[in-house]
Amino acid sequence: MNAPATFESFLLLDGEKKIIVEKDTKVPNAAVFTISKEDHTLANMLRAQLLKDPEVIFAGYKIPHPLEHKVILRVQTAGHEYSPINAMENAIKDLIFEMDMLEDRVKQAIANRQNAE
Amino acid sequence: MASMNNIRTRIKLEDTEILHTTSTNFPGNYSGYDDRLNLDEFRQNLQVQITSLDDTTSEFDLIGIDAAIANAFRRILIAELPSMAIEKVHVTENSSVLPDDVLAHRLGLIPLRADPTLFIDKVAADTKEREDDTLIFKLKVACKKNPKAPTDGDDPKKLYINSNVYTEHMEWIPIGNQITKFKPEDIGPVFPDILIVKLRPGQEVDLKLVCHKGIGRDHAKFSPVCTGSYRLMPEIILKKPIYDEDAEHLQKCFTPGVIELEQDNDGHRRAVVSKPRLDMCSREALRYPAFKDSVELNKIRDHFIFSIESVGALRPDQLFIDSIKLLMSKCDRLLQEIDGNINN
Repeated sequence: MNAPATFESFLLLDGEKKIIVEKDTKVPNAAVFTISKEDHTLANMLRAQLLKDPEVIFAGYKIPHPLEHKVILRVQTAGHEYSPINAMENAIKDLIFEMDMLEDRVKQAIANRQNAE
Repeated sequence: MASMNNIRTRIKLEDTEILHTTSTNFPGNYSGYDDRLNLDEFRQNLQVQITSLDDTTSEFDLIGIDAAIANAFRRILIAELPSMAIEKVHVTENSSVLPDDVLAHRLGLIPLRADPTLFIDKVAADTKEREDDTLIFKLKVACKKNPKAPTDGDDPKKLYINSNVYTEHMEWIPIGNQITKFKPEDIGPVFPDILIVKLRPGQEVDLKLVCHKGIGRDHAKFSPVCTGSYRLMPEIILKKPIYDEDAEHLQKCFTPGVIELEQDNDGHRRAVVSKPRLDMCSREALRYPAFKDSVELNKIRDHFIFSIESVGALRPDQLFIDSIKLLMSKCDRLLQEIDGNINN
C-alpha cells in the first residue's frame, strides 16, 4: 500500500535535475556528481572509464539508499588545468566512441553471418 | 613478469578460492605497463564472434571489453529495453476458480508479439486509449457441456467445450489507425498455446486486456529477454603431460567434451584440452593431489560469452544493437547535461 510508485526509478520528477555538480571543498580538484535516475549500469561503467585516465587520481561511486534513485560519483584529478568536469567529459566521449565501434563490429558480424547462410 | 601478466588478464581458480577477480589494469597500478585508454589498441583488440543466432536465441563472444561495459549491456537488456505487455485488465465477468487479481497477474506475464518501437510510452495521467500507445485484446470464453461427448470417458477436453482458455482465444481489437498500420499476424501473443485458466460448464471469463509499453525496471513482464547473461571464457592449462588412467580420471573431472584423449607414438593415451568453451568451471580436478600441480584453471578476463534469449517480440541481435544504442543515448544525455551545468 505504501510502496513507492515504480516509475520513480526512471522518470525525473518535476524540477529535478539530471545531474548536479558540486565542488568537494575538502581536497583540491575534486567534484561530486549527483546523477538522478541512474544506477550501477552507467555509474560503474563511468567509474571504470575515469580510472583509465592517468590524470584521474580518484573515481568512485555509491548509491546511498535503494529507494533513492540516484548515484553519487566522486572524481578527483591531479592538476589544476584539468578539472573533474573535463575528465568526466573525456570519459563519456571515449565511451561513446567505444560504443560506436562495438556497434559497427556487431552489425558487421551479423551481416557476415547472414551472408554465410 | 609472466605472473604479473597473468594477474592482469586471467582470473585464477584455486581449490578453495578464486584469485584476481577485479580489473586492475589502470594507469599507475603496474610499473612497466601503460594502462591509459588507447582507442587504437581498443580497436585492434575488440572482436565480436557470433557462435549461434536464430529468431529467439543467440550466443556470441565479445572480446576486448571491460567487465563494466559487458555488465552494463546485460543490465540494459534485462531492465531498460522496452516491450509491450498487458498492464490493465477490465473484468466484466470472471466466474472461474482464479480470483481476478491472480488471473490479471497471469495475463500480464504473457509475452506479446508487437514491435515496441512502433509505440510510445503511456503518459501516466492520460487514461484515454490512444492508437500510438495502447493495444487492446478481448478475451471472452464460456465453457459448456459437449453434447457429443462420449459417455464412458472422463477427459474434460472431450466432455466440455472450452474447458481450457489458451492465449489463442485472445482477440485483437484494433483502435484508430492500427487496423491499417499492422497486419493481424504482427500483433498477438507470441505462443498460441499458453494456458491462462481452466473452466467448467457454466463458468465464463469476459475480459478486456489493455497493453502498454514499459521497461523491465518497472515490472519484469516488460523485460524483452528471458535471460540475458554472460560468462567468461574458461582456460585450462595442463602443465605436465597426463597419461592413461590418470588422463581418463581427468576427463571425468570436466564437462564432457572439454578433455579428449589422444593416442601418442609410444602407445599411451595423453589428455589434451579440446573445447575449453564447454567447461562449466567446476574445480573438481583440483581436489586430487595428483592433478593439483599439473592442472591450472583460469578464466580470461576480457572474453565474454554472451547469451541472449528473447521472449519473442524482437530478435536477439536486434535487442543487442538496441542496448548499444540505448547506452549511447544515456552517455549523450549525460554529456549534454554536464555541458549545460557548466554554462549556468
